[in-house]
Amino acid sequence: MSLAQKRKSKRVDCATVCPEWGCRQPGEHEGIWVVGEVEGGAISEPSLQMLTPARMVANKLGTFVEGVLLGGDEGALRAAASEMIKRGADRATVIAGRELSEYAPPAFAGAIAALAAERRPDVILLSATMRGREIAPYVASLLRAGITADCTQFDVDEDSGDLFMIRPPFAAIMLAYIKTPTRRPQIATARPNVFPVPPRDEARDGPVEVRPASSYVRAPPGMRLLRSEALRRDEVPLEKAEYVVAGGRGVGTKEGFAALEELARTLGGVVAGSRRAVDLGLVPHERQVGQTGKSVRPKLYIAVGISGAAQHVMGIREAGTVVAINIDRDAPIFRSADYGIVADWRDVIPALIREISARRTSPGKGT
Amino acid sequence: MGLTIAVGIKWVPNQQAVRFDERTGTLIREGVTSIVNPHDLDAVELALRIRDRYGGKVVALSMSPPSAVKGLEHVIGMGVDEGVLISDRAFAGADTLATSYVISSALRRLGGFDLALFGQETIDSSTAHIPAQVAGWLGLPYLYYATEVELDGSGRKVIVKRMLEDRAEWYELDMPAVLGVAMKSQLPRPVKLSNKLRLREENPIRTWSNAELKLDQRCVGLRGSPTIVAKSTWTPEVPRRRQILEGTPEEAARKLVEALFREGVLR
Ligand SMILES: Cc1cc2nc3c(=O)[nH]c(=O)nc-3n(C[C@H](O)[C@H](O)[C@H](O)COP(=O)(O)OP(=O)(O)OC[C@H]3O[C@@H](n4cnc5c(N)ncnc54)[C@H](O)[C@@H]3O)c2cc1C
Repeated sequence: MSLAQKRKSKRVDCATVCPEWGCRQPGEHEGIWVVGEVEGGAISEPSLQMLTPARMVANKLGTFVEGVLLGGDEGALRAAASEMIKRGADRATVIAGRELSEYAPPAFAGAIAALAAERRPDVILLSATMRGREIAPYVASLLRAGITADCTQFDVDEDSGDLFMIRPPFAAIMLAYIKTPTRRPQIATARPNVFPVPPRDEARDGPVEVRPASSYVRAPPGMRLLRSEALRRDEVPLEKAEYVVAGGRGVGTKEGFAALEELARTLGGVVAGSRRAVDLGLVPHERQVGQTGKSVRPKLYIAVGISGAAQHVMGIREAGTVVAINIDRDAPIFRSADYGIVADWRDVIPALIREISARRTSPGKGT
Repeated sequence: MGLTIAVGIKWVPNQQAVRFDERTGTLIREGVTSIVNPHDLDAVELALRIRDRYGGKVVALSMSPPSAVKGLEHVIGMGVDEGVLISDRAFAGADTLATSYVISSALRRLGGFDLALFGQETIDSSTAHIPAQVAGWLGLPYLYYATEVELDGSGRKVIVKRMLEDRAEWYELDMPAVLGVAMKSQLPRPVKLSNKLRLREENPIRTWSNAELKLDQRCVGLRGSPTIVAKSTWTPEVPRRRQILEGTPEEAARKLVEALFREGVLR
């Protein structure tokens, strides 16, 4: 039997399933959805990243990838849909209308669930952005379906056609292969930057279907946005930074982080931290790197006074060059680094700043 | 009268004490104590502040093994009025869907609440699923990353401020509503002896097992959980050069900067 046949013939014994939740046959579900987030009129980068695993899984399963977009501005959503198609989706559905012109989680999540109840997708993928994390679990409970957060890989179970949602569990430094064999859709999220944005193929084309929001937002959400205030941001967001200088408990103090700031400024980058550094109040949580923080993909990542716990290095898998500065020659971080310096950061950081500045003022110098 | 504010708390292993066995990749449980999920204390603090300002009571719920009664005692020590321990063998091994199903059933059994507050996520699994899933089961409005809550003039709606990375937003929600409280957004108050004394005098903690909640065995615990762990593997290592730059700190720094310029990482 081919994988597609296995998948389509999959049945569950409804007597084993929670009666209150309803029983749906897995074999009657088709297609991999990627829910696209539109920010400032354009499809967000994290949403495009989810097309990478979606395409891979769809190819293995012999099915299609569908972009699903929601909002008030049909024109922007259509443009976002065509961008998703050019980057790997086969088709897209847009739910547009006044009911979705302002973001309210129950309305957005409810519309996704209503569309899913009608179309029966096999898989729904969302990026675990702040809004994605807010919406995905509500969709799951409305559909009485399983959900797996923060996956770092996806694969397909060759025996059943079930989706493997792969993530580090708490109780181990290993990876757990999670699946939902009896319920559909299979819902999963992955944090931004875990997957790359697929390349754009101008030649790709596919159908975009537009449906009215009024058919999918059935009840008022019971909430509304009163006002919104942009926060002043003088730094590049961590996810976008090309140079990241991350400090850990070994840097220890505010003064230590000021030195890292100076190095980051010299590089044109930003400062980040380990969870211990966040716990110590030296870095805000939105600048935490790792399993329960962010994944980064800079050109250069410098880990200073960070031991290199599995939960930390998880966040730097996609980094270009990794440098570790640690006083302990046996620190595990050196196994995850391209270059290591075994020394006290207090001696290394000023030397690095001097060397880089000297190089930049006299570019002919050195090798 | 006044508000009934429910707050969910989870009993989790103390992360500071967690160690892994590098050979087997498993958690070393020996000597690991449990604590109230620190992010839930933000929710408890916000609940207490709302109660102190508008009147009413705060009820903490925890779906956990019996030892979590210590966690409920802790938050009662902070000033929570009542505790409900939701505990039954049948609930063990639940994933987030089956957990949120039991919690929402317990909230229904409370017989009406105005707000249900949760910590934004737990330190042990960080899925941030439960608040939205509970809202989904109960069909209620909900919002994540809440930092401040006020009642509007009518007393039937709340105005919630929440923080996204690039903006602050204010939403108005009909009550009952569910909120995920932003991590580190509050300063949880310390435990007071006078509150702790209530534990002996008033017996403010109830235990509900499935005898009370009467949920079908197929909907709870391991059996009710759609997700299962099929297998596990080691995380594949990213190939790195692992080159230690020897010499004095100055020499090593010079070698590093040279290499980074040579490779085009720096320009
Ligand atoms: C469920 C779970 C999720 C987690 N998620 C994350 C996550 O997302 N991100 C994360 O980072 N962690 C996470 N952790 C925590 C992780 O396990 C580690 O505890 C943490 O990464 C350690 O932080 P650290 O390296 O800063 O501190 P430590 O492990 O204490 O390391 C400090 C290092 O500094 C070095 N040092 C000390 N002094 C100096 C000096 N003067 N100069 C140079 N080096 C020095 C030491 O040799 C040591 O290697 C998680 C843990 C759990 C259980």
